[in-house]
Amino acid sequence: MSTDTTERHLADEAARRTGAYNRSLIEASLDPLVTIAPDGKITDVNNATEKATGLSRQQLIGTDFSDYFTDPGKARAGYEQVFREGLIKDYELEIRRRDGHVTPVLYNASVYRHEAGDVIGVFAAARDISERKRAEEEIRKLNEELDARVRRHTAELEATNKDLEAFTYSVSHDLRGPLRHIDGFSKLLFEEYSVDLPEEARRYLSRIRDGTRRMGMMVDDLLNLTRLGRKELSLQLTRLSSLLEEAIGDLQPEMAGREIEWRIGKLPFVECDPALLKQVFANLLSNALKFTRLQEHAVIEVGATTQDGRAVIFVRDNGVGFSMKYVDKLFGVFQRLHRPEDFEGTGIGLAIVQRIVHKHRGRVWAEGELNKGAAFFFTLEAAESPPGESNALPGGAT
Amino acid sequence: MIKQDVEILLVKDNLDAVELALHALHQERLANHIEVARDGEEALDFLFCRCPYAHRSFEQAPRVVLLDLKLPQEDGMEVLRGIKKDPRTKAIPVVILTASREESDLANGYHLGADGYVQKPVDFDNFRNLVKQLGLYWLVVNQPPPTAAFQPR
Repeated sequence: MSTDTTERHLADEAARRTGAYNRSLIEASLDPLVTIAPDGKITDVNNATEKATGLSRQQLIGTDFSDYFTDPGKARAGYEQVFREGLIKDYELEIRRRDGHVTPVLYNASVYRHEAGDVIGVFAAARDISERKRAEEEIRKLNEELDARVRRHTAELEATNKDLEAFTYSVSHDLRGPLRHIDGFSKLLFEEYSVDLPEEARRYLSRIRDGTRRMGMMVDDLLNLTRLGRKELSLQLTRLSSLLEEAIGDLQPEMAGREIEWRIGKLPFVECDPALLKQVFANLLSNALKFTRLQEHAVIEVGATTQDGRAVIFVRDNGVGFSMKYVDKLFGVFQRLHRPEDFEGTGIGLAIVQRIVHKHRGRVWAEGELNKGAAFFFTLEAAESPPGESNALPGGAT
Repeated sequence: MIKQDVEILLVKDNLDAVELALHALHQERLANHIEVARDGEEALDFLFCRCPYAHRSFEQAPRVVLLDLKLPQEDGMEVLRGIKKDPRTKAIPVVILTASREESDLANGYHLGADGYVQKPVDFDNFRNLVKQLGLYWLVVNQPPPTAAFQPR
């Protein structure tokens, strides 16, 4: 054997080994691999492709690549894009096996070339994403179930709330009748016979009338509260400063003969139900006026700050305040922190404030210190513009 | 019109309420003759001159009907419907006098042809004042419908 022959033989042997090595790598891949000629015919496949299609390589080679997908048009568009652009990434297709089983895959493919640089074909590798799809589907189903459950519970809660409100409404409504009669007859008794009554009896009678009046206010407040629950919000973009001015105007009788320093800050425009928001201001201001009554120099401050990008409206006073120990009781229906002879009231004003703010999907809270003052804060979920020049509309012409 | 004619028909089931209303009306000396119907059927019998009111005639209609909504059996709305759909009674002024402030009641009442809707206040002084105003308006200020208004045309 000449040296030449021996060398060529060795070179051939090395090439054969490299080829066998490469082939075994290709066959070992779990991803279906395939090469495609420019005319779309399959030129080579690996073991995984045989498995995914359910066909032997003899059956596959020479046939159209696109024939083995649920959407042949999309498969064709895929390899055409590779020929045009050189490669494709995570292209989603579904391989259809001979027995009908469908495997969702992501294709990654690139062109391969002669040594001279001419494109010979496309080399495409598919990644089975069945497991991921199944997990996604599972998550979607779970979310759907969760949504349905939340919707069901919300509906149940709403129905219960409606029932409760209907009940409260009819009870308070029906209570007004007898109450009116007690008030009427005790009044007649007082007017027509009080001259004949002993002093003590007249005092009892006046107690009866006080109690009746008080109960009347409570029943009316309860009615207002339940009416609120059933009322639909009628939202409109509102200048809060205007509502505040109106509310202060309505409270003039309560300010008669008092020295009150008002500190009014800039308030934003908000989307809200103006009638209800005015009620919020009226109740908070009326409280502020009431609880600063013993103050020689009453200071009531109304303004807005921003917290987490959201406007917070506050009403602050330097009145008798409250202990933070009882802060949780403030907003309860008929909850009162003061003796009736010190400060009158039915204990429903703040419950109404809370109901209105909650109806606007906002938050309301309070801070206070005994004998130092109280501050009430609320936010509204509706679209707000930051506190600023109150004549400018948010997003308006510049 | 004969002097003894009924001036006000008060339709109200609750005796306490009736007594208080009558007291207020008499105190103001606005009405001499007030008829009380304790339920809807009685009110309609009276207005339609049916037994036991067969001796009455349609021309003797009350100057105003003060109608409560919550009544046993036929409720106030039914009575109102009955009055306003018949040409012989349609011209009788009917004022709803109720504790209800429900928007649906207001809407239904006016839709059925009520001539007024008044909410009863809890406070007796306010109530008395209101009854006085009602009496003044319907018995003094307002011109009643003439006889011709109660005849079918």
